[in-house]
Amino acid sequence: MATTPTATASPAARVLRSPVFFSVVAAVAIGALFLIGTGADPLAAYGAVLTGSLGSDGIGSTLTTGTSVLGMALALAIPLRAGLINLGGDGQLVLGGIAAAAVGLYSPLPAPLTTALAVLAGMAAGALYAALAALCDIKFGVPLLVSSLLLSYPAASLASYLVRYPLKEPGSSLPQTPRLPEGVELPAFGTSTVTLGLVLVALAAVAYYLVDARTAVGYEMRMTGLNSRFTAYAGVRRGPQTLRLMAVSGALAGLVGSVGVLSFPFRFLDGSLTAPGYTWTGLTAALLAAAAPLGTVLASFFFAVLQVGGLSMERTTEVPRELTQVLQAIVIVFLAARLRITWRRRKGDVKA
Amino acid sequence: MTPQPPDPATGDTAADGPATDDTAADGTPAEGTGTHDTTAHNPTAHDTPAVELLGITKEFPGTLANDRVDLTVRRGEIHALMGENGAGKSTLMSVLYGMLRPDAGTVRVEGREAGFASPGDAMAAGLGMVHQSFKLFDSLTVAENVVYRAEPRRFGFVDRAAARRRVAELAEAHGLHVDPDARVGDLPVGVRQRVEILKLLHRGARTLILDEPTAVLTPAEADALFAVLRSLTDEGRTVILVTHKLREVMEGSDNVTVLRDGRVVARLRTADTSPDEIAAAMTGRAVELDRIHPPGTPGDDVLTVDGLSTDGVHDAQLTVRAGEIVGIAGVAGNGQSELIEALAGLRPVTAGQVGLSGRDITHASAARRRLAGLAYVPEDRHAVGTAPAASVADNLAMGHHRTSLSRKGVLPPKAVREHARGLVERFGVKASSPQVAASALSGGNLQKLLIGRELAHDAPLLLVEQPTRGVDIGAVQNIHDQLIAYRDAGHAVLLVSAELSEIRGLADRVLVMYEGRIVASYPKDEADERTLGLAMAGAAPTHSVEGA
Repeated sequence: MATTPTATASPAARVLRSPVFFSVVAAVAIGALFLIGTGADPLAAYGAVLTGSLGSDGIGSTLTTGTSVLGMALALAIPLRAGLINLGGDGQLVLGGIAAAAVGLYSPLPAPLTTALAVLAGMAAGALYAALAALCDIKFGVPLLVSSLLLSYPAASLASYLVRYPLKEPGSSLPQTPRLPEGVELPAFGTSTVTLGLVLVALAAVAYYLVDARTAVGYEMRMTGLNSRFTAYAGVRRGPQTLRLMAVSGALAGLVGSVGVLSFPFRFLDGSLTAPGYTWTGLTAALLAAAAPLGTVLASFFFAVLQVGGLSMERTTEVPRELTQVLQAIVIVFLAARLRITWRRRKGDVKA
Repeated sequence: MTPQPPDPATGDTAADGPATDDTAADGTPAEGTGTHDTTAHNPTAHDTPAVELLGITKEFPGTLANDRVDLTVRRGEIHALMGENGAGKSTLMSVLYGMLRPDAGTVRVEGREAGFASPGDAMAAGLGMVHQSFKLFDSLTVAENVVYRAEPRRFGFVDRAAARRRVAELAEAHGLHVDPDARVGDLPVGVRQRVEILKLLHRGARTLILDEPTAVLTPAEADALFAVLRSLTDEGRTVILVTHKLREVMEGSDNVTVLRDGRVVARLRTADTSPDEIAAAMTGRAVELDRIHPPGTPGDDVLTVDGLSTDGVHDAQLTVRAGEIVGIAGVAGNGQSELIEALAGLRPVTAGQVGLSGRDITHASAARRRLAGLAYVPEDRHAVGTAPAASVADNLAMGHHRTSLSRKGVLPPKAVREHARGLVERFGVKASSPQVAASALSGGNLQKLLIGRELAHDAPLLLVEQPTRGVDIGAVQNIHDQLIAYRDAGHAVLLVSAELSEIRGLADRVLVMYEGRIVASYPKDEADERTLGLAMAGAAPTHSVEGA
């Protein structure tokens, strides 16, 4: 955001000139070439992506997927804003889910309170586990990148064990918990699969935006991301900052996990939270937006559209949904080259 | 916001595109040239210039770094290339050395047209460059460094004995005394520089380009370097000296070419010019050089350091009082940075006591020290003192963001902008808007930003490291005036500088650091260049160095 050299240009011009916009357009164009090469009609395929994800049949699905993608994108963007990379999203997500399931199954409280408590438990589980990764970095010098990633595996294994033994649904052949009691679920909008979870994640995005732009903590976070020696010089202590940011990050991942359990299928099924790859899609979205709040929301929505629309495209046309993954990959490749592109564009501006 | 004149360079190019070789246009060369325009435009047939650059134009996005620059360096001379930061010196030398391709213009080396595609080509044509940061392998010996990539071979293997002989011979022949078997990492900076020069001589360089060669040297080492350079030119080699230090240009060079805003503004014969004339050409106005400011009136102790030790500093003893500037002189790398970092709370103290306004801050965090009344201008303004990618406003907010600018943790963007506007105006930082990235500022403006931000804390103690390193002459005066005004407002200032003239001009007392110890202390009137120079080289008379 603040890093663009053309800060004085109008917002529209900035969007058009931004490497993100360029990458997306280029990816769509190259994707069209692929489609033509395989004999498919690019307009039909892209049309199917859009109608399938944004049409009345698909929008609910897109918002549900978007909830998880955005939640994970925020979880990864927040530490990324300060230059920290949390690769343990899967572990924090799964622990959040299993904690929410356990509370949902065993809490003696009335259903609405149990639901709220389950959400909080999921967030707490994710936060604590992410904080553990941060402590490994701060206290023992294990780089966060490594500690967060490696801690992710035992977390997934623990959840696997729990749903196979202590929390297993009696009589079921699947590694899953029993269905949550009646009423222990996030309220849905009408008959759709979209739940209050979307509201919670959206609130988190708004909070991130406000903290980032308008608070001293957000300022320190941004400055640390741009130059951590600068903030250390001014007296910001890196350790506590890392710990706090990771805890928030883990809490959001845990939130996504608990939302996944407290909406359809209303139980914890081993692998169901991680299989769709929300962590990685979220990480991609956060990187695409360089962790800026608004950009993270837009990128998450974009990827949700691709993911849901790809399925629909596969159903209605001959094009396999892997095309959307190709598009994602091309976007990333172009972004990796963003520096060179911006440099050329600036040079062009001077001469024009 | 300060009004900023539109950049003439940019407007210019947009209008007329790539430059032609019409050198006479735009009144180039401009003021200061007068009568002694001896080197330019009269290449004599029997004496081919060592280096000739004609009409070099190089444009970067947003700046015209070189605008039809002509430079003629005769064989056997020491030619100084001067100019402030951003004047285009580095660009010009990069063009000459094959690191940049010019948009227009011709490069001739010893009469032959040359368009070097890489430094390797330039070396093959007899050029050699000593960069400001040395390019040596610390873990290898002197001989190994010197012959690197031009090793004497025997049966296809590196002939180490021959290499050592060769280096010893070269060193002997040129008075560059150095042990071929010493490890470069163990050598002092002055000696490493000799290794760099030997490297060039080993490859048969006939023209040597030295970029700011004395930045890391004591006065005595600098004198020795010039003796070596003179002996090299006596045997027919040529030296191009890129520098901004007037003193050594006056003492060591034959001719001077001054660049400003990418153009040649003066070609001078050293014998016929004066430091004031060169400075005026560099800045475009008359400048008062090396002013010695009158002493301050010290009050109570503000900073008391008693037996402080940390990694790189041993048993430091010093006091800074309100209303005085204490200067720490010393060759870079003798513990000054470590001492300041320990005082700023960025480096753990292993022994001793540090007091600030009567409070013990020996083990306090950096944040707590700032609350106790400490502001700090660090040496490295890009890596430590600012976040270049962040906006000017965000850079100016640092340290103020939890005190004056925010309430209960809320930091309104408007407050940050207003704060930035105020400081930009008060300290004359030239920025088109507080929202531009700090990386867009020149070195001098970035330093003004940094100093302004720290002065604005109004802290009783200010630590300043190298306040004018890499800063234009014009801005130097402004920064010095700010520091003196801060002192006169009753604050204590601890100043570390590698520039003796700066220390002498500003400091009320001068301490000298050598190998991690404070080895001497002089009142202002005794701190002359010779005395300080001796102490910096470790030859101080062993007298008491109490903080008084």
